[in-house]
Amino acid sequence: MIWEVFRQEKTGQYHTHCGNVHAPDREMAKQFAAIQHGRRKPTNSLWVVPRDEVGEIDAEDVAFGGTTDKAYRWATTYKTTGEDAREVVESEDEQATAERQRGDD
Amino acid sequence: MDLDTVKDRAGPREFSPADDLPEEYRKAATRMIEFHANSEIMGAYLERPFIRQAPSIDRKLACSAKVQDEIGHGQLLYRAAESLGVKTREEMLDDLANGDGKFLNCFHYEMTDWVETPMIAFFVDGAAMRRQATLRRTSWEPYAHAMDKVCFEEGFHVKHGEDILRELMSGSKKEQELTQAAFEEWWPRIIQFFGPTDDKSTHHDFAASVGLKQQSNDQLRNAFLDQYIPKARSYGLEIPDEPRIRELDDGTYEVEEGDLDWDEFFTIAKNDYEPGVGQINGRKAAQEAVQWVRDTIESDATAAGGHAPQAAD
Ligand SMILES: [Fe+2]
Ligand SMILES: [Fe+2]
Repeated sequence: MIWEVFRQEKTGQYHTHCGNVHAPDREMAKQFAAIQHGRRKPTNSLWVVPRDEVGEIDAEDVAFGGTTDKAYRWATTYKTTGEDAREVVESEDEQATAERQRGDD
Repeated sequence: MDLDTVKDRAGPREFSPADDLPEEYRKAATRMIEFHANSEIMGAYLERPFIRQAPSIDRKLACSAKVQDEIGHGQLLYRAAESLGVKTREEMLDDLANGDGKFLNCFHYEMTDWVETPMIAFFVDGAAMRRQATLRRTSWEPYAHAMDKVCFEEGFHVKHGEDILRELMSGSKKEQELTQAAFEEWWPRIIQFFGPTDDKSTHHDFAASVGLKQQSNDQLRNAFLDQYIPKARSYGLEIPDEPRIRELDDGTYEVEEGDLDWDEFFTIAKNDYEPGVGQINGRKAAQEAVQWVRDTIESDATAAGGHAPQAAD
């Protein structure tokens, strides 16, 4: 049985997928995950999930967006006067990064 | 974990569903996040009519996107609240429908004219964002994670709201006057967004001591005034004479509490304010009207297989 492994580096961070292990049951999966994925990289917590329980939908099944112009949805579209609040600037920066990664511009 | 340990460890994103937390913590966090979730939903319902009333296709698209975002924020937050194990999402939604669920003061008022939209989308969303940015460091990890996504999206709401304000305030004299009038009506409510001063706030001390809340009402109100008074002025809005606001030597502000209507505020807090009751019932009716959609989805979850759903983006 295959178990997908998600590692969290520090308390409060996200668990992100880092690989998978072969194991007959949940207990063994946790042990193997700890050995294979929790040793060299900083690890605070690991999740193991049976692969069969993972649902997947990919870009072939569905259009995830990014193909239609939705400029109205982005902070970067609107020009403002004066200095914006710190957190608004931060949000706009995060959005600009996401926009670039999606290749909208 | 006992309460003293919680207080000792209470740092940003410190506690997750894997931790065994005392009931006091879980109840306080549930109350706070449920309030936040309810507010997202009720705010969305307040703005919904403006998808129809928007004066241009661009505004219509943006308003519709914003309302969609806010409903999404509510959903994220109900999950963060539910993960505390005190109340289920179903219970929270039922409480909101039957008038027991509490939510932000500003969303108990009616909004009828387009000139009012920046009062919500710019000032209330701006105020909310000041607060939400600090909550990315709350001690309940699922709440902090929800705030990551909410803050990512909110920049658009605030800037779109500001753009509406800019347009109105550079429009005809009549538009400017109507916008100023709307501002005067909403300004005291917006200041009350942050609640009463710290010494009158009932829940703050505990929430702060366990790391749920990062800043006090007074700190947040100050941070808001500091940022948004200059913004309002830069678009030609005049700050109303009341409530009196004094700028102190250290750059902070002092609001004359007595100038604000606290009877109304606490009537609202009990869900007894008439227009607010209308909003609660309005949402309840809308929920009931689409009950058949939920029923269809839940009774026949597999029948949808076979055709690809359109992902929202
Ligand atoms: Fe929101
Ligand atoms: Fe918003």
